[in-house]
Formats: sequence, C-alpha cells, structure tokens
Amino acid sequence: MVTAWATLKRNWLVMQRAYPWSYFIGTLGPGVFTIVVALLSYRAIGGGRVSAWFGASSGTSDYLGYVTVGAAALMFTTRMVLWVAKAQITEQREGTLVSQLLTPAMRLPYLLGVAAQAFITSILELCCLLGTALLLGVRLPTPDPVSLAAGILVAFVAVFGLSIPLSAIMIAAGEAHITQNTLFCVVGLLCGFTFPAVLLPAPLTFLGELLPATAAMRVLRAATLHAAPIHQVIGDLSSCLALGCLYAAIGLLVLPHAERRAITRGASA
Amino acid sequence: MTSAIATYDLCKTYPVVERPWWKPGKPLRAAPAVDGLSLRIPAGQVTGLLGLNGAGKTTTIRMLATLLRPTSGRATVDDLDLVKDAREVRRRINMIAGGERMVYARLTARENLWYFGQLYDVPKAQLKARIAELLALVGLEHATDQRVERYSKGMRQRLSIARGLINRPAYLLLDEPTLGLDAPIARDLRAVVAELARDGVGVLLTSHYLAEVEQLCADIFVIAAGRLVARGTPAELTALAERRHTVEVTLAAPVDDVDHAVGTLAMRTGAQLTTGVDDELRPRYTLRHSADLAGELATTIVTAGGAITRLEVTPPTLEDAVIALADAAPEPSVVGS
Repeated sequence: MVTAWATLKRNWLVMQRAYPWSYFIGTLGPGVFTIVVALLSYRAIGGGRVSAWFGASSGTSDYLGYVTVGAAALMFTTRMVLWVAKAQITEQREGTLVSQLLTPAMRLPYLLGVAAQAFITSILELCCLLGTALLLGVRLPTPDPVSLAAGILVAFVAVFGLSIPLSAIMIAAGEAHITQNTLFCVVGLLCGFTFPAVLLPAPLTFLGELLPATAAMRVLRAATLHAAPIHQVIGDLSSCLALGCLYAAIGLLVLPHAERRAITRGASA
Repeated sequence: MTSAIATYDLCKTYPVVERPWWKPGKPLRAAPAVDGLSLRIPAGQVTGLLGLNGAGKTTTIRMLATLLRPTSGRATVDDLDLVKDAREVRRRINMIAGGERMVYARLTARENLWYFGQLYDVPKAQLKARIAELLALVGLEHATDQRVERYSKGMRQRLSIARGLINRPAYLLLDEPTLGLDAPIARDLRAVVAELARDGVGVLLTSHYLAEVEQLCADIFVIAAGRLVARGTPAELTALAERRHTVEVTLAAPVDDVDHAVGTLAMRTGAQLTTGVDDELRPRYTLRHSADLAGELATTIVTAGGAITRLEVTPPTLEDAVIALADAAPEPSVVGS
C-alpha cells in the first residue's frame, strides 16, 4: 500500500499544480448540457409529464432524476477512465514510464493510487454537477445511504476494472484518443446512462450486461430514485463486483505484455 | 553466490513484419538486435559496452534492466534470473539513460526522490537523509524545492542520476549518461561513477564519448550487429586497431617525384595511402599503418625534393578500434520469409 499512497500523493500534487480549468469546464459541460436538454424537453415538449412507456421501461416517472443520476454516473465513469486508463500512457508521453517500470513496485497498488486520486477528484466534480442540477431546479429524492455507498463503491470497482485493460490497449497501441472515445461511445450507448437499456435490441442489451457499468448504473438509480434497501440491489451489486474484478484481472494479466511492447517500440525505434 | 551480472547466449529479436492480429504467432520477419551475447559485469568495477549505433547496446541494457525479455538465452544478477526473479532483480539494479527525462516535471527534486524512494521501499527513517545526500552529490541542494519543469537540461539529468541511486543499487546501468551534459557536470558524474565502483557497485557503461569509457572502464565489451566482437582493457582494444597510426604530411608545392616515392613507400610497407589537397590547394599525403611511419615518410619526401610545411602523427585510439571492429563484423541477418 506504500506504492498506492505515494502515487495518490504524487498525483494529488501534480493535479493541484496543473489542474486544467478549461478541462474542468469541458468535463462539467456535457453533464450540464444533458440535464438542461432533458429539462427543456421535459418542460417545453412533455409539459412536465412523461409517458407511461417511459415509466414502464425505466421503472420511474421521475424523468429529471433519471437523467441527472445517469449524467452524473456517466461523468464519473468518463473521468475515472480518463485518469486511470491514461495513467501509463501519460507516463510514457512524459518520459517516466521507464523509471516506473524499473522499480519493484507492483502495478495494482500503483493503479489503485491513481484511482484513489481520480475518485476524490471525480466526486468533487460530481458535487459541482449535482449542485448545478439543483440550481436548475432538479430535485432528487432522499437516497438509501447504504445502497448508495455500496453503489458508489461497486461503480468504482466497475470503472477501475474497465480501465486496466483499456490502459494496456493504450500503451500497446501508443494511442489514447480513439481507444478512450470508443469506450465512451460503447458505455454511453449500452450501459443505460441516459436512456433505459431495455430499449436497445436484445443483442446490444446482452452486450451491455457484459459491462460492469450497466449493473452499477442500476444500483445507483435504485438507491437514489427508489431508496432501495441493499438486499434489493444485492444481485446487481454482486454481478458488478464480479465483472469489475474480472476485467481488472484480465487487465493486470495483459498489462506487462503491453508495457514490454511499449518499451520495445521505444527501443527498436 | 556470484556477485555479477552475467548473460549467457542472450538474444533479442524484433519483429520486422508482424503477423496480422487475427493470426497470432511468431512474426513473419524478425531481425536480431542482440545475437548470442555472453557478458560478465562484476561488482566493484566499471565495465564498458561499446558499439556503433544499432549495435544492440540499448537493447542489451534494457534487457538487463528487466524492461525487455530476451527472445532466448538467459541473464542473471547475483544468480537471480532476470525473468523469473524480475522483482528482486529490480531491487538490486537501476538505470540512468541520457536524453530521457525519467523524472516528473511537475514535482520538485525532493518530491521526485521521495516518490521513487517509496516505490523502492526505502525505509522511511533512511529516506530523508538519503535524499539530502543524493541532492548534495549531484549538486542540486540549491534547487531542492524547485519544480523540475523549471530546471535546465543539465539539472534534470543530474536529478535523473540521483533517482538512479535512490535504491543504493548493487548494479548501475548507464546508457549514455553524459549525453547533453556540460563538460564540468560530465566530469563530476565520471568522478561519482568511479567512486561508486570503488564502493563495490558494478557499473555497465555505454557512451559515445570514448575518452570517458577509456578513463573509467577496466573491461570493455565491443559489440556489432548484436554480437560480441572483442573484449579487453582499453589498451588491449586499442592495440587491435590495425592501420590506425596516421601520419599526415602537407607539402609547400606539388612535386612529381614525391608522388612516386610516397606511392612506392606505401606499397613496400603495406600502408594505406590517401592523397589530396588542403584548403590552400597544397598537396597532402596521409598514411595509415600499424607502425609509426612518420620518420620514413619525411625522409622519403625530402629525398624526393619535397618541402614539408606540416607533419602530424595520430596514434590509434579506442574509437579507431571500435570502428575497425564494427567494420569487420558481419551484417545483421533478417530471419523469416
């Protein structure tokens, strides 16, 4: 855990000194935009009501709450992925990957350190988004605190798990933008962040279930919109946790190969 | 236990033409970067690894640093296998590469060394003192709490050297460590390296500054096309440089008889003769031979009626030896269809 703590501290110092405010606005922007568009559609087009069809497919008639929780979760996912999955390719670009790999430190605590800093930062950004939503008039019901805490924890595991194989792909390919944006498109489409995943064709729904973020999203919505107690979400919690751990294990398995490929590219160039 | 880094038939092949990703397997064509290299880098000594660009020096160092895996062969550090015991090997080694940053630009020198100290599990009680000691060693005490992004290139390189020593490595791999450094800083680094070796650290040094290698290394391996072509002390290797005593003579004016006489001398002694003119279009003769032919050449020219305005004798150098050895080495082969 020494490595995790040291990496958390290092990243925190770097972030304090070089936090790009334009990036923060760029991060908050899509979330706020999603909520504003939903708000306008709901008030101006829907007249403050949603169809029975939406209620049946989403399990709630609180359209604004549904969109706000989804937008917040999507922002959390993208921010965590950007920090964790890009950690090693950033090291590579800044010329520090070799000095990292020379040390006897394990990859898991290193990535956990990055993820811990990313988690704190993302939660602070999330608070800004939810504060903005509140100012816009969105009101969320009182959540079940235990289910919400468990939901946030498994969402962390889900995104952390997804980020590790993504990190391996990025450093092996020496490219980040196409990889990360492909993932964002896939999770945005399949995981039910902004619309009920059941509306997708069956094969896509099945693919969505293979991503741990889908179950995490269900847990977060159940905890925040329905104040569901933990025993009601235990199934989704378990599947999210299992899938997140599976992705993390696969990622940790392929990461050393990807690292060597990145070094080989550097050495043979 | 053997206190040394040892390699046995070490090979590293890079793919030249990869298979498509849906057809996994060996690459369609591959070129060896390191080809059957057997080295020994003992503790308490600076060992040189020389070769021209592309000879396989960096690949060798990166394999010894556990950054790359050998395609075949094996290497050990104090009898620990480089692949199987990679984590334990990493505790005993470190690497400093010139021209690579290897430190975090947005952290200060102290924060950088603290971070790497944590990654190397340096005990907390020792870390603070060691950071101060290393910063003093590389002359960065005045910039301890300044962010690295505000450092000059030389200061960054010095910090990189301190980073390379943070775990008190038993073996230090130096890949062009003085690249881009000012002469006084490079000289200080050489003094540090010599002192480390005296303290028992085994150092492997690659450098294009051969005077540096001559000064520091007790033993030198010369590689070409990934293969070992020679090994010896700087003096032994220099002696291998045949035809490398160079005598250069400039005449006041061209004389036909001198051309003939110098040509005859070259044929008789087997020396390599090059003729030309200098900037002022005066004739110039250059003879290369294993022996010093300066006296004989001067006598020949004067006897033939030539007037010598300049005579320069250059003894063979380690650089001549490395170039000669590399020239004589076979071309690297590409394996595959």
